[in-house]
Amino acid sequence: MQIWLPFRRAASPTTARRRVLPALATAAVTALALSACSAPTTTPRGPEFFDWADVQIAAEGQTVKLWMWGGDDQGNAYVDDVLAPAAAVQGVTLERVPIADTKDALNRVFTELQAGRNTDGAVDLVWINGDNFRTGKQADAWFCEWTDLLPNMTLVSDSDPLLTEDFGTPVDGCEAPWHKAQFSFVYNEATVPNPPTTIEGILDWAEDNPGRFTYPAAPDFTGSAFLREVLYSVSGGYENVPSVYSDDAFAELSPALYERLDQLAPSLWREGSTYPATSEQLTKLFADGEIDLMMTYGPATLTALVENGTLPETTRVLTVEDGTLGNASFFGIPSNSGNIAGAMVVANEALSVEQQVAKADPAVWGQFTVLDLDVLSADDRALFDALPQSPVVPSFDILSQNANPELSAEWVPALDDGWRTTIAAR
Amino acid sequence: MQSRPRRHGMRATLLVLPAIIPVAIVVIGGIGTTVVQSLGLMPLVGAPALSTDAFGSADDLLGSALLSLGIAVVSTAIAAVVGFFTAVLIISGNWGGRIVGALSAAAVTVPHLVGAASVGLLLSDSGVLARILGIPPESWPALVAGPTWFAVIAEYAWKESAFVALIIVGTLATRITSYDETAAVLGAHRGARLRFVVLPLAAPSLLVASAIAFAYTLGSYEVAWLLGKTYPEPLSVMALRLFNSASLTARPEAAAVAVITLLLTAAIVGVAMLGLRRMRAWQ
Repeated sequence: MQIWLPFRRAASPTTARRRVLPALATAAVTALALSACSAPTTTPRGPEFFDWADVQIAAEGQTVKLWMWGGDDQGNAYVDDVLAPAAAVQGVTLERVPIADTKDALNRVFTELQAGRNTDGAVDLVWINGDNFRTGKQADAWFCEWTDLLPNMTLVSDSDPLLTEDFGTPVDGCEAPWHKAQFSFVYNEATVPNPPTTIEGILDWAEDNPGRFTYPAAPDFTGSAFLREVLYSVSGGYENVPSVYSDDAFAELSPALYERLDQLAPSLWREGSTYPATSEQLTKLFADGEIDLMMTYGPATLTALVENGTLPETTRVLTVEDGTLGNASFFGIPSNSGNIAGAMVVANEALSVEQQVAKADPAVWGQFTVLDLDVLSADDRALFDALPQSPVVPSFDILSQNANPELSAEWVPALDDGWRTTIAAR
Repeated sequence: MQSRPRRHGMRATLLVLPAIIPVAIVVIGGIGTTVVQSLGLMPLVGAPALSTDAFGSADDLLGSALLSLGIAVVSTAIAAVVGFFTAVLIISGNWGGRIVGALSAAAVTVPHLVGAASVGLLLSDSGVLARILGIPPESWPALVAGPTWFAVIAEYAWKESAFVALIIVGTLATRITSYDETAAVLGAHRGARLRFVVLPLAAPSLLVASAIAFAYTLGSYEVAWLLGKTYPEPLSVMALRLFNSASLTARPEAAAVAVITLLLTAAIVGVAMLGLRRMRAWQ
């Protein structure tokens, strides 16, 4: 009978304190129960397969859920219409899960790991790179040492720094390359007849043309890349910025960056009183003719945007003398995926010559290949050479001239926070 | 004597348990997890250690809290006034009232995210309204992402006023006619009836609906994130940014901001509930 007492008390009219106590007790018990099942058990899962045949057998019939940013129609269409059918031939069903931000996928994995869901997570494959990869690696959220098993990894150069390190974080077989990207400035030829040719020139141009330039607010991916571009420029080139983060380097180099941006702010769109929150909002400002010069880390999408009339026909990519940042995108497999073999099959398929050529076609997606063209057979290389040129986006070798390496991932949140407290708060 | 009420209480408890248990797990569990995370007891990596560091580490917390309160107070106040008069119009039962009633019911079903996107398309520099009026972006006032938070407040006020109106209509519809007619027969004119009959009858539900709208406005992030200014940011946007931040230590900070938001909301809803107990029509 004792056990019913608290309930009777709660039901009868009594003092507030007596009513609160059972509620508090329930809260404490629930919280304890929840935290008990969330004991961190993120022991990384090592390789589970002897060879590729092993993987193929295990992958048969699996359904792989690929979590990727859903805001790029061409990318979505490529995965649905080109990659998924190819995976189906291998016996793997590929399902695309569109997300607003890659961090949503990472957060889902973290939450599942905290809740003890260690072997059947909702995320099997993530399109990822940079600080997201590093954070996942720190939390042991990735399945590692699996890329050596992929037969198509032989087509990829093992000395390409873009592919062995991801924003300074060693890849260590925890992610498989997918394609390369180059940060690009974009201008409207009709309104900017004599475009600037350096980063500093772009900032000067913005000051000469008040209200016609802006950049996305950090921590947006593109906005935060722009901070790094300007950091390189004000530091006299990327050679002068140590890629490994240290508080000293930050304290020494960042004041010049923020000073320059502070000086620039009154000349920006809306006098820098606010900034577009995302790169899509920036693209919309450019499309609406509110600004004449913008930037993107995904130049691949420009061709289609011009073709379908979103962007003016006079849209051009600006190649700057200082060079721009370049990076590679990867596929990561969360350690709690239940379909690891299937995910590996998809990642391998995505690295095939056929898929890389199809994806590099501007009419399909226009993403730059990660394959090492020197190790390809003459026939395969001819496929890449025969690709149609985009009228808007120059080819990768032109775009990546003087390419700048990315800083290590620790730089990113430091620069973002500094920007928010000094420039956004000005 | 003693056993009867006890059995009664037990039976009542058992009957509501199926409703209470899931709510308790979700609400208390959610809040509990957030509190535990904010105190550093649920880290993503490393050993759990009790600390209140997270509460002090987010900068400009005060500015964000004031901004959040400001947005919530202004939009809830507008929603309460507009909602009340909308309800009166709906209750009046004429054609206009019915149309307004249908529009309000439709507005409640629109998700805030869709509402925010629509308001953005309508009010932004080169939005629909600016184009219809033929005003170039440079001369259009900064309604979206501007210093006044106009678009954010407008979206909340619009959506929540429909909600407030429907709640008031729900409580007034059954009893208003007889009171109102009695007052009219006794010679009360329109203004007096509104003040001495409709308002007191509607007050409790108006207060409850406003408290719900206020709590929602303070806690939701999507409208402020889509339509707001870069800096300063409301608490909810700050919590989201921190939660999504790539650094592993940011999660406790996000949880701490959420706990502060929760305490603020609880305090103000608590005051509203105290006010409710004093209302005559409630007793």
